[in-house]
Amino acid sequence: MNKTERAIYEVDQLHMLAMRDQWVNRIHPLVKFVVTLLYLLAVVSFHKYDVAGLLGMMIYPMALFMLADLSFKECLRRLRFVLPLVFFMGIFNPLFDSNRIMLNGEAYSAGVLSMITLILKGCFCIFASYGLIATTTIEELCYALRLLHVPKALVNQFLLTYRYISLFLGEVHRATQAYLLRAPKQKGIRIRAWGPFVGQMLLRSIDRAGEVYESMALRGYRGEFYLQKRPGDPAEGAAGKTRGRGKDLLYLCIWAALILLFRLFPVVVWIGGLARGIF
Amino acid sequence: MAALEVRGLTFGYDKKETILRDLSFTLAEGESVAIVGANGAGKSTLLKLLVGLLPNFDGSVAYDGLPLTEENLPAIREKAGFVFQDSDNQLFMSTVYEDIAFAPRNYGFLPEEVDRRVERAMEMTRTSHLRDKQIYKMSGGEKKLVSIATVLSMTPELLLMDEPTIALDPRNRRNLIHILNTMEQGKLIASHDLDFVLDCCGRTILMADGAIVCDGDTQDILRDQKLLEANGLELPLSLMG
Repeated sequence: MNKTERAIYEVDQLHMLAMRDQWVNRIHPLVKFVVTLLYLLAVVSFHKYDVAGLLGMMIYPMALFMLADLSFKECLRRLRFVLPLVFFMGIFNPLFDSNRIMLNGEAYSAGVLSMITLILKGCFCIFASYGLIATTTIEELCYALRLLHVPKALVNQFLLTYRYISLFLGEVHRATQAYLLRAPKQKGIRIRAWGPFVGQMLLRSIDRAGEVYESMALRGYRGEFYLQKRPGDPAEGAAGKTRGRGKDLLYLCIWAALILLFRLFPVVVWIGGLARGIF
Repeated sequence: MAALEVRGLTFGYDKKETILRDLSFTLAEGESVAIVGANGAGKSTLLKLLVGLLPNFDGSVAYDGLPLTEENLPAIREKAGFVFQDSDNQLFMSTVYEDIAFAPRNYGFLPEEVDRRVERAMEMTRTSHLRDKQIYKMSGGEKKLVSIATVLSMTPELLLMDEPTIALDPRNRRNLIHILNTMEQGKLIASHDLDFVLDCCGRTILMADGAIVCDGDTQDILRDQKLLEANGLELPLSLMG
């Protein structure tokens, strides 16, 4: 499998992951979206030196990965290009922030602490977002966005962009193959050919995108989204729209309570104090 | 009342160039009609126009008396299903089931009805075994059958197909012919594959330069070597000596 084929495969695998019949996948998309949003807001709101408090927030991605049976190794592999950026963002903090701050009677480098919190915040946000898209299909996410009254045009743009990624990758794959078959001694595409190559790819993907949109429109697509029925779902509501159920509400309440608890109180410090008292 | 009635249809992408010239024909309910013609004759444009993908045409198009207008598009697209030439452009969801269920969901059917329609469409196209298969892993023949199923899930009265046999191997082609011949729906098929047309359509419309050259019995038209050659076509292989 070459790079573009691999990329197409990855996009599809992520969708298949979201389509699985797991307990978390069955939770209403709006509930998962709201919980993730609440979690992201809570994570980014931590003070830049509050490492201990932030550590407690790892509970959500950890629990989500376990409940949804997601592979952490696979997640790291898929996010291999994003995670280094997160590390890179914080890596210069020790240079710019040379203050020292006292925590529990000990002096720490403020720059190092802020670097750690920045990296933790970035990682937690990425893992939580990955957890959301690995348990919720793009259509369900769009449906949730519409329930939140996000403008239809914006949601459509989001869905179509996602759909066109595969089309564009497909075009890149075909064009690269056609090029390399006629340039067997070359490694990659020569800079001289990049202009027409990129132009052709864009024109072709625009054409294909147009046809895909036509195909959607011909099959009744008018910018509305519907929940996909999963095996065992109760039959309720028109057009596959399912209402929030008790377990969805329970999921929302439990996570909202836990996130607020870990955000507002130093739970990790309490646990640490308890552990120190015991041992 | 005709299932499809086209009167004086004229169309061009711009005013300088006319692609379709004064086309008039009707299709009876359940009738299978082929549109044949050389490359650039206007076959694909005609089909796209008939499902409302190309606006601003002159003349009239009506399905069961319902005129093709912006307001009537949802109702017309329920009556007439269009199968694209390139299945990759028709199939955009990740699995077969999802793709076939796309239209019924958009038309607001209850989940049970969506299920029923998907199962029925898969049965008709013999694709039940592909139900959970990922689209990108399917062969060209499978994709074509699933493309047809995506349209059949809306139980259209008329199927419009653009070059359905393109890129199909002989076995898949034969399978497609059998499936199409067992369907009760009317069919309007644009194709270069004249042997396929002989097998599937009782009536043929021959087009050249955007106009209808003749409209009649398939056997009569496809046996007329002079007529075919004058319009950039050749006798079907099965009729060659």
